[in-house]
Formats: sequence, C-alpha cells, structure tokens
Amino acid sequence: MMSGFWTSEFFHNWRHNASAIAGSTLLVIFAVIVLAGPLLVAQDPYDVGSLNLLDSYKPPMWLDGGESAFPLGTDGQGRDVLASIFYGTRVSVLIGVSAMVLSCLIGTALGLLAGFYGGWLDSVIMRIADVQLSFPSMLIALFLMSAFGTGIDKVLIALTAVGWVVYARTVRGSTLSEVNKEYVQAARVAGLRDGKIIRRHILPNVLTPVIVVSTVQVGTFILIEASLSFLGVGVPITKPSLGLLIKNGFDVLFSGLWWNSVFPGLFIMALVFGINLVGDFLRDELNPRLK
Amino acid sequence: MTPMLDVRSLEQEFAIGGGLFDRLRFERGRVLAPRKIVHAVNGVSFTINRGEVLALVGESGCGKSTVAKTIARIYRPTSGEIRIDGKDVAILGHREMLPVRARMQMIFQDPFASLNPRQKVRDIVAEPLLEQTAGRAARAEVTDRTLALLARVGLNAEHAGRYPHQFSGGQRQRIGIARALSVNPALIIADEPVSALDVSIQAQILNLMMDLKDELGLAYLFISHDLSVVHHIADRVGVMYLGFMVENAPRDALFATPRHPYTRALLSAAPTIREKRDVAEIELSGEVPSALNLPSGCCFRTRCPFAWGRCTAERPTLQAVGDDHTVACHLIDEPERDRT
Amino acid sequence: MTAPLLSVRDLRTHFHTFSGVVKAVNGVSFDIGAGQVMGLVGESGGGKSVVGFSILGLIDPPGRIEGGQILLDGQDLVGAPEEALRRVRGRQISMVFQDPMTSLNPLHTVGRQMDEMLRLHTDLDAPARKAACIEMLESVGISRAAERLGAYPHQFSGGMRQRVVIAIALLAGPRLIIADEPTTALDVTIQSQILKLMRRQIADRGASMILITHDLAVVSEMADHITVLYCGKVVERGLTRDVIGAPAHPYTRGLIDSIPDPRHRQTRLSQIPGTVPDIRNLPVGCSFRERCPRAQALCAQADPPLTAQRASLHAACHFPLTEAEAP
Repeated sequence: MMSGFWTSEFFHNWRHNASAIAGSTLLVIFAVIVLAGPLLVAQDPYDVGSLNLLDSYKPPMWLDGGESAFPLGTDGQGRDVLASIFYGTRVSVLIGVSAMVLSCLIGTALGLLAGFYGGWLDSVIMRIADVQLSFPSMLIALFLMSAFGTGIDKVLIALTAVGWVVYARTVRGSTLSEVNKEYVQAARVAGLRDGKIIRRHILPNVLTPVIVVSTVQVGTFILIEASLSFLGVGVPITKPSLGLLIKNGFDVLFSGLWWNSVFPGLFIMALVFGINLVGDFLRDELNPRLK
Repeated sequence: MTPMLDVRSLEQEFAIGGGLFDRLRFERGRVLAPRKIVHAVNGVSFTINRGEVLALVGESGCGKSTVAKTIARIYRPTSGEIRIDGKDVAILGHREMLPVRARMQMIFQDPFASLNPRQKVRDIVAEPLLEQTAGRAARAEVTDRTLALLARVGLNAEHAGRYPHQFSGGQRQRIGIARALSVNPALIIADEPVSALDVSIQAQILNLMMDLKDELGLAYLFISHDLSVVHHIADRVGVMYLGFMVENAPRDALFATPRHPYTRALLSAAPTIREKRDVAEIELSGEVPSALNLPSGCCFRTRCPFAWGRCTAERPTLQAVGDDHTVACHLIDEPERDRT
Repeated sequence: MTAPLLSVRDLRTHFHTFSGVVKAVNGVSFDIGAGQVMGLVGESGGGKSVVGFSILGLIDPPGRIEGGQILLDGQDLVGAPEEALRRVRGRQISMVFQDPMTSLNPLHTVGRQMDEMLRLHTDLDAPARKAACIEMLESVGISRAAERLGAYPHQFSGGMRQRVVIAIALLAGPRLIIADEPTTALDVTIQSQILKLMRRQIADRGASMILITHDLAVVSEMADHITVLYCGKVVERGLTRDVIGAPAHPYTRGLIDSIPDPRHRQTRLSQIPGTVPDIRNLPVGCSFRERCPRAQALCAQADPPLTAQRASLHAACHFPLTEAEAP
C-alpha cells in the first residue's frame, strides 16, 4: 500500500512542484509547533508565576539588549514572544481546524440533502446560503460575537455560521452531478433506501472537493478568528491566539516595540501561506476537470 | 398464463424549469410559478412473456430509456400500470417494492458511470443481494455467490477485490450483468447495454446475454437504437417515437414487412456492410419535435412524407394488421395514400 | 499513377504520460489521391483520431510526433513552422469533429464563426464573404440562410449544428477534409442525411476525405478505400469492396463477423475474444496474436510487416486469410 504511494503520480507530481513542497514543509513545521510547542520553549506564558517583570520588553536576541533566553524578545509582562507565539499557534490552529470540522459536517449534510432531494428543500437551503453570502463574513461573525459574547466556543459558533455555506454549495454542486449517474440509479434498482444511497454512494464521490475546500477553509477561519480577536471580540485574553497577540503588540507598536506584533503576524502569514500552497496543489491534483 | 411484465397506458411526465424560486413570476398582479412539462412517455402498453426478449427501438428522445427506468421504478410513473407477474407495482412504496426488485433487475448503458468508482467489485455485485436478505445472509454465502457470479460472466476471483477503473468497458459491463443476476431475477431491463462498447466487445456481451437467457430462462426488455443488434437479440420489437409506441410486432414480421412510415425510414436509414434490406427507401426530412409541445394528431406527422389532414386532426391508435402485429398509423385505413 | 494529395509515411505519434509511453500511432502509412474518400477504421485505443490530429499538427504535450512524414503535395508538414501549418489548416485541410455541441463556439453567432474562416483564408471583402456564407449554408441544406447567420449554435438542433460545422469546414475550399466520427453523436435518420450531404459535397468539390470512424457500416457506404488500425498500426488497407468482402487480416474479419447479420441469424455471434491490450505494454510480436484464432509460434516472435496480399489488399499478418475463406 505504502509502496503504491511512493510510486504514485500524486507523489511524483508533489516532488516536482516547488510550491507544494514549500507549503508542505511549512505545514510540517507548524504541525511540530502545535504538537510539541510547549516542549520547545522554556517558559509557559500562561503561568503568571513564571514571569518576571524585569524581563519586560526585551528586544529580539540579535539586537542590543537581547537575550538568548528570549530569541524573539519579550512583552510588557516579561513573556517570551516565541513561547507566546507557540502557545498562540496552538489556539489558532485548534480553532481553525475545529471550525472547519463543524462547518464541514453541517455544510456537507445540507449540501447532500439539497442536491439529492432538490425541490423546495433545495430552494430553501440554497436561498439561506445566498442571503448569508451577501453579507461580508466578518460582519456576520462580528454580529454573532457581540450577541453571544466572547469565548472559544462562541468563536466556533460564529465561524461555523459563516463557513457552512461554502461546503453546502460545493457539495450540492457535486451531488447534482452524481445523483443522475447510473450507479445511483443502480442502487435504487438494488432496493437501497435514500439514506443508504446518500451515505454509501454519493458521499464518497463528493468528498474530493470537500477535502480541497477544507484546506483553504482552515486558513480562512484562522484569519477570521485573528481579525475577531484583533477587534477584541474573539478569544479571551487568558488564552491568546495569534490574532490576539498581534492586537496586544499593536498597542505598543508605535513605541518602537515592533517585535510584539510583527512576529505573531509573520507566523500567521506563514501558516496561512503554507495552507494555501498545499490547498492549491490538492485542488490541481484532485480536480478531475483540470486533468 | 400471466405475462412476466404487462405495461398498460404508461405515462411519464417530467417538470423542468428549476425550483420554485426560479419559476416565480408576476403576471397581471398575480404570483405564478408555471411549470414546463416534458411528455416523455405518452401511454405506452406492451407485454413480455417469460423467457421472451422485447426490444424497444427509436431515436434519442423517443422515451425508450424513460420507459425502461420507469418500469425499474427508478422513476415513479405519472400514470398507468406496471404489472410484474400480474401485480401492479406502479405505485408501490419502497418496502413493498423490495421483493419485486428480486424479480426484476437492470443493466445500464454507460459502463463507466454505472459502477460506483469508490466500491470494490465484490461489493458492487453483492449489493442487491444484501439488500434482499437485509444483511441476514452469512458472509461466506454472499462471498461464494459473488465469486460464482463473477465466474459466470467471465471474470475471476482476483477481480473481486479491485475497483472499477482497473477494468475495460466490456469487463465493467460484465460486472454490471453480475450485479443484476445476483438476486436471480426473471426479468432484466437492459438499457442500451452494448451501445457504449467497441464492436468486437459488443458481440461478447450480446453472446453472454443470450447464453444467460437460455440458461436461466430470463426475459429481457432490451432498449437499443441499433437495428442490427435488435434483429439479432429480440423476439419482438416495439418502435417508439416521441413517447408513443408506433409499431409492435414479432421480429421477423417487423423487419420483413414494416408498416409504419417511421419504422420503414429507420430500416432504410441504417447503414449496413451487407446488401440493403429489401425495403422501399423513405428519407425523412427535419428532426424530432420537442416533447415540451407535442404535435396535435399523429406524433410523426411533422416528418412523415405521407401526412395529410387527418393526421393533424386525429391521433392514430394501435390497431392489429396481422398476427400479433400492431401499428398506429392512418395509412392502414387508407392504404391508397402510400405512394411507395 | 499520379502523385497522391496526401501521403503519410511511417507516422509515429507518442504520448509521454506518467504511467509510460503511449505509442498511440506507431508507424502508420497511407496515401489519399485527389477526390478519394478513405475510411480510417478501428476501435477505441486504435489511434485513429490521433492520426487526424497529427495531420493537422494539433498534437499537444505530452504528445509528440516522434517521426515519419506527412506529405501534402510532396511538402512535409511534420516539423513545419506553426505559421505554415496555420495556412494549411482550414485552407488546405479542414476538420469536422464528432460533437457539434463543442466544436462551435457557443458565444458567437454562426455567421461570425463562418466569416472568421473566410477572413483568415481568403481576400474577399465583407459583402462577398457574407454572400459566400449564405450560399454555403444553403448548400448544406439550411433554409432561410441569410436569417440564420445571426443565430447562435444553441438555436440549432444537433443535426443542423453538424451541417453548420460541415459548412464551416468547406468554406475555404479545402482539398482534404478530416471527419472524425462526424455522425456518431447523431440519430440514425439524421446520420443518413448528414452522410448523404457529406458525400455529395465532397464529390461536387472534388475534395478528398479521411473518414475516421468505428462504424464499419458507415465506411462501407461512404469510402473508396479502407485503412484498419489496431494498437497504433495499420493492420490492413485496400479498396472497400475487398476489405469488406474478403479481408486478409483476422482482425478485420473479426470486426465484420461481430456485426449481426440479418440474413443468417445465428444464436451466437462470432466474437473476438479478450480485450485490446494495454498500449503501453504490447505483447512481443504481433499485437493481435493473443486474440487471434490463427496465431502460431511465429506470431509471438516477429511483428508482421504490412505486405501486399491478393487484389488491392495490404495486410500485416503472417497467416492471412485467403479469398476462399471470405465470409
């Protein structure tokens, strides 16, 4: 099975695609940060007891006054910026992936129903999606956040409410093209119930675009969450994501303490860039229409 | 003896034009949601006896595939009866339909689209059987039956674990046939089963189907546009045009003495590598009208070289012209108008 | 004998795919004289469409013409600059494709698409071009031609669209028309209309045609000569009546026998066993030997060359059928 992968066209194309390799490398680095981040830094930025105010606003280590203990400098409480970023990356990725999973489940289910049954169900679901798409997603998220209050769970609700539409539209389109194929008719002739036809026959055949959409959606969600947190309606201050780190650093940016916001900004950029590079590669590889 | 399949006045209409919101419009202060209706099948009747092969021929859009898929209850008929072993199954629900599906299975046209690309061959073939037994059948039993079916259609045990894309068109069609046979049906509906295949593979599949018919006593409803294939496989032939049955006859009678002008045109238009059939040539002008707006009177009058006033005014019904041979054409009453 | 209009010599067109080199056309040779209709017959994977595209220089990567010559009036089109090929396409050689839905641009009117052809290949002024378009549409059987010039392709039915495609192909007065399955997408009564139209138009204009099809019945009614392809090679060629009446190659014979014969209805059709081999992985020796009822030890050792047989026939077979074995 694995030897099949190493000799596959997929792997061959990956090996000859510089941006796919670059994106994958970035994602591997971020995977290590997410999984093993706390082991890589000495300080736990959430543990207030371990902070020393004397270390506050130290510049990055290569500048005058920098210390090798704080490679990217420290913030006003003497927190190691690198440690904050590692912990913040975990929060950002956790939210991005969870929101992707939630909106994927809801959007895929609605898209399958709309495409399979058509008729009024399709009309209702897709019109709701249209209405939703006509508002900027930030606006919807902001509205929901100000209604529900802040917190990771509230952020997830807001992101899911924004994100299901992409899945529903993608899956509905693919479902429409599958549902009239003869293998679905054959399943009817075999006597399968609708639910089983959807689960066993249609779902596996619409998953490819879902995978492609999912990679890109994780990146989008991370950015929206960062924006929300930057505006102060995102994650709570006790569990800062990359977006909140940027906001915190932004307050002192014009005092010359640029490292507090620039480094989290670079990390979020690298993360989303990596996700999008891999997403583009997957889209080209998995989309049969481009082949 | 009750026939295997007895179809009476089958009608099938499809509404097109999208969902409710796409059709909404305002006219003279009222909200309307008009529907466009495609009249795909317009009152078709025929019977198939046990072990008999009835071929439905006609050009694209004549409704022959819709008839097949309606009888297989992929679609619910608009009206009419579909009697299997004498029992009307036209409006049965899913649960009551299940035992009927063990009597009647289907083979599809497109060997690429008719198999789920994500299922292994063994799961594809076993699917109707597992549905019938509701999972009660022992795993070993189903596996044995699947392998036996694959062997019968000319595939071997190692093929069972593969995916459809690893097979050629002809092999895929064999897999589709094995799937249809899995529940031991008495009637197989075959919708253009060889038209997507290369000539040399067509012959293989037709031979396989004929062998299976002799071995298992199958009846076929065989949909095709290819007259030479129909001549080879059918006992009876029904000719369809624009959703109507225009002629229905035993094979030899139909090919030797076609009566409907459309049947005659079809026979003379079909290219052949052998000498032309001994049929006066009728060349048709124009093309098939839209099933959205059926012509008044005879469906064929817009292309018929013989059409006269009566054909516009009055729709001809099937009438007997010989042994088991029926035709829907006013020429039967007024043969002097036939100028060939 | 006069020099042929088009002479294809040992044409080899290969596709370099991930899973191996597909030798779609692998040493194909044939001639077409002026005014001749040649049927290029074979099953899917035989390479017949690739021959058509190669002649027009329309092979895109990963495909490549690896060798051979395509001589139009003695001038080699293989390796000719794109500029020269563009002048040949449409003016000297034009093409009719299988699917009239996709070979017309849905966004432009029929008139504009016809006019473009004339603008590219003639010096006519606008009114003259319009007149030529109307005349051409009428000659392919489209009534109210002047009015229909302003119509879009979707306003025509399938058969009418194929008439438009044929009209466009004929506009610049080409000497060779390559028709790739021109009637496969059409119904049988429409097919017979289109075939009659093509035959008449070709004859009237003294043009030649390569008719690419899988349908032996269609070629036997249309073509003077038949070339049969199998796995990228010519296995048989000759006059239509010889090829259909008494073929020398067992593959041709198998194709003919697989068509049900209404005169002698048997319970079983004679069939070619097996399937077309994977073209990336052809057997050593004759490509057809694994499906051939006449194969012997020699067939596994040497690939038979195309040699002259009886009458007009050339066949690539070590053990060709004799005339006495004709069907």
